[in-house]
Amino acid sequence: MTKGEPVLQLDKVSAFLREGHRVDDVSLLVRHGELVALVGGNNSGKSLALRLAAGLEAPLTGMIRLLGVNPALAAETEYIDLRRRVGVVFDRPGLLSNMNVFNNVALPLRYHTVLSEPEIQDKVMAALREWNVEHLREQFPAELMLGDARFVALARAEILDPEILFLDDMLLGLDATGLVRLRGFFERMRVAGKTTLITSAGAATKLFEVLDRLLFFRNGRFVADARPAEVVQIKDPAVQELFGV
Amino acid sequence: MVGWIGRKTSAGVAYASEVLYLGYLAIKELVSRSPRGRGEAYRVIARQVLFTGVDALPAVSLIALLFGVLVIIQAGTTLPRIGAGALLAHIIVLTIVREIGPLITAFIVVWRSGSAIAIELGNMRVGQEISALDAMGISLIRFIVMPRLVGVVVAMVCLTVYFDVVAVIGGFLVAKTQLTIPFGVYIHDIGSSLSLADLLITVIKAVLFGFTIALICSHHGLSVLGATTEVPQQTTRAMLYTVTICLVLDLLVTVGFYS
Repeated sequence: MTKGEPVLQLDKVSAFLREGHRVDDVSLLVRHGELVALVGGNNSGKSLALRLAAGLEAPLTGMIRLLGVNPALAAETEYIDLRRRVGVVFDRPGLLSNMNVFNNVALPLRYHTVLSEPEIQDKVMAALREWNVEHLREQFPAELMLGDARFVALARAEILDPEILFLDDMLLGLDATGLVRLRGFFERMRVAGKTTLITSAGAATKLFEVLDRLLFFRNGRFVADARPAEVVQIKDPAVQELFGV
Repeated sequence: MVGWIGRKTSAGVAYASEVLYLGYLAIKELVSRSPRGRGEAYRVIARQVLFTGVDALPAVSLIALLFGVLVIIQAGTTLPRIGAGALLAHIIVLTIVREIGPLITAFIVVWRSGSAIAIELGNMRVGQEISALDAMGISLIRFIVMPRLVGVVVAMVCLTVYFDVVAVIGGFLVAKTQLTIPFGVYIHDIGSSLSLADLLITVIKAVLFGFTIALICSHHGLSVLGATTEVPQQTTRAMLYTVTICLVLDLLVTVGFYS
């Protein structure tokens, strides 16, 4: 992938899971290396849009292309290959409750690669150190605070060096220190330029400053696309309410 | 009434199709040559055998011993009174090895492991662990269903044979105070009454029950959509359906082989 090449395209996508979880006629494009947030209040459709974009839900209508693949039509091997290239962190971390932190992060390596155990150990510990959670390696998910569990899930999502990272509800469970760590991570991603970030947020945050674009959702519809500095110029009432304009 | 019967029948057919399709996918995964995730699948199989088989030994030992004592005392004290004392070993083989062994072992495995599988998978659904596995490209069939199927079947076969041995031999040793037949004669009679078909049918039943338990409980656990309240509902359904289907299968095998 070269910088600026489209990595994600939603074309007139509509989907409905249950009441309050719908998106209508959403079209958007994200390019390689961009850091993008889907922003909106509760029931705005941002989380469903993120799951659709990640290829984890099939749309009712419209077309999704993720890294050149339509996930809904992909053959099994193509789908598994796609999943290896995409990292996802849900609002609930989704760590396997019967495995400790180390084994959770090691799981994608053990499943998808033929690395030796010492190599896996090195990679996992490096990933845990990056999020400052290496001291939790022996603990089980039920023993973790939500913020730490989210960092472990981020370490796991990153362990195969994905081309796109999806992070649902980026502010969930984070205290001030956690926000600083996340900001540092976004800044490192920006410098490296290797990974595309698609995240979501339900409230305005200073973290938006390090992102490239904010895509606003209201009532399941994509209503505005702006750079963080341009947000105040958006006339949509939901956007103005989120930013206290 | 006819409409109700029609709806129930089509729902039953749809349910059976879903469970059998899950079984087909699990067997396909079992014989697949793809090396991806094999190591992790083996680890899950080992854990399942340990939990379903080894950890169940104390419960199976006690229940097998109690059933053995009950059956042997009843048969050993009643049969001589009607002049059929020589049939003791035959009756023991008939009741314990052919019927009670596989069936009671299946009930123990349903109560312990079947419920645990349904609850574990239901909670994994609620906690988005299943979604996370899908997102990581980890096959639910290879990582979740197939290892549980293999683990439960292996454990079920071993536990059934163990149940039979404990019930037939342990039961006799405990019941010996009430009986006049010597242990050596009893064992010789059991050996004479036991045919290869009996052993084969015990194993066939154990395999069928293991398949049923693992598949139905996995299916119901994975059927949880996302609410915590669904987990006990699906678990109860899984246990009820599993026990019912095990009884039906038991009847079919017994009628098929012995009628």
